[in-house]
Amino acid sequence: MGEGYARPEVLVSTQWVLDHLDDPKVRIVESDEDLLLYDLGHVPGAVRIDWQGDLQDQVLRDYIDAEKFAELCRRNGIAEDTTVVFYGDKSNWWACYAFWAFTLFGHKNLKVMNGGRKLWIDEGRPISRETPRYPATTYQVAGGDEPAIRAFRDDVLDHIRAKKPLIDVRSPKEFTGEMLHMEDYPQEGSLRGGHIPGARSIPWSRAVNDDGTFKSAAELKALYEGEAGLKPGDDVVAYCRIGERSSLAWFALTFLLGYPRVRNYDGSWTEWGNLVRVPIERGAGA
Amino acid sequence: MPAALDAIITELHESDRQERIELLLDFAKNLPPLPPELEARKDAEHRVEECQSPVYLFVEMIGDRVALYGDAPAEAPTVRGFVSLLLEGLNGASAEDVLKVPSDLVDRSGLTEVLGMLRVRGLSGMLRRIKRDVTRVAFASHGSTP
Repeated sequence: MGEGYARPEVLVSTQWVLDHLDDPKVRIVESDEDLLLYDLGHVPGAVRIDWQGDLQDQVLRDYIDAEKFAELCRRNGIAEDTTVVFYGDKSNWWACYAFWAFTLFGHKNLKVMNGGRKLWIDEGRPISRETPRYPATTYQVAGGDEPAIRAFRDDVLDHIRAKKPLIDVRSPKEFTGEMLHMEDYPQEGSLRGGHIPGARSIPWSRAVNDDGTFKSAAELKALYEGEAGLKPGDDVVAYCRIGERSSLAWFALTFLLGYPRVRNYDGSWTEWGNLVRVPIERGAGA
Repeated sequence: MPAALDAIITELHESDRQERIELLLDFAKNLPPLPPELEARKDAEHRVEECQSPVYLFVEMIGDRVALYGDAPAEAPTVRGFVSLLLEGLNGASAEDVLKVPSDLVDRSGLTEVLGMLRVRGLSGMLRRIKRDVTRVAFASHGSTP
């Protein structure tokens, strides 16, 4: 796996995970859109970290603070030097989101299991319903990575003034402004439809194959450079509706293609589409 | 609301977080398969648009009683469990009783605390859909138009 990827070590195969199920330096983490999937059966020894219940602050629209993150790691048996391997449903969309959130707090040694939950099950690998318990650690947050990977709305305004590239990973109808959310999802959350001026549309799902694995480096280059016009070395901002689908694009651009500066704008369309007087473009765009 | 649904919602409400998850999983496992004649009618008209997973609902009246059928994929146990719960709670009720089901049913069940606000919106959409279809089918079977 990983021919031509810039940092192939961040992707591991289902076989690698099977070989490391009892490795005390490795913690397998399931992160799904559907919370119940973990209880239905998961990779033996995997813990569940929920993007909504665990990683987001329940009052502020923000992530949990450093102390809560440290507690989350401590109770899941994750130490500063633990290799954390994420996997989940929907082609690892939520696994990438958790990976991105862990990066905010400066955790190194993060990986994604290529293919996610679906491939693991399709390959007939073992499933467990037991919730494991691990000895608590004394995790201390390293921190410091947020400015490198997270864009706020003022950063995005600066970014468009500087005519730097933006990637919009929502579905085509959300990009043109016909819809406020993917088809079949509740159409709510923003007062205006459309996209950030100058953004190029590359729906997130185009970065993955039908079996949930990532496309090859050559296919990803054709997508982000051929179609979206990015150039190696570009300073890129990716966004979607709440910053989850764009975590997958952030992951692909940063680790699979080696872009030096990619930030995820997690405010995304639910913020931009509600802001007063920010510029909006409708239609097919550039 | 119908007594069967009331009993389910009360049980969920009185359970703790993990018990609620287990109950919803049991519902997901016990969703009866669609009758073959409905399996062939899984089209856009019967798909619940508010749900991100392909969820299908069918509403019929047998005499003055509501008969519900539904399907949702096994990979989406939350929605599948909720479809199953609604079917078990509402089948055999009168149209009037279905229409009286409170629209904050998901909150009342305590599932919002487990699933979070962002996940329960599609579930509320399913109840709205059932009420809409019951109104339509019940009126049609009485030979008048709404």
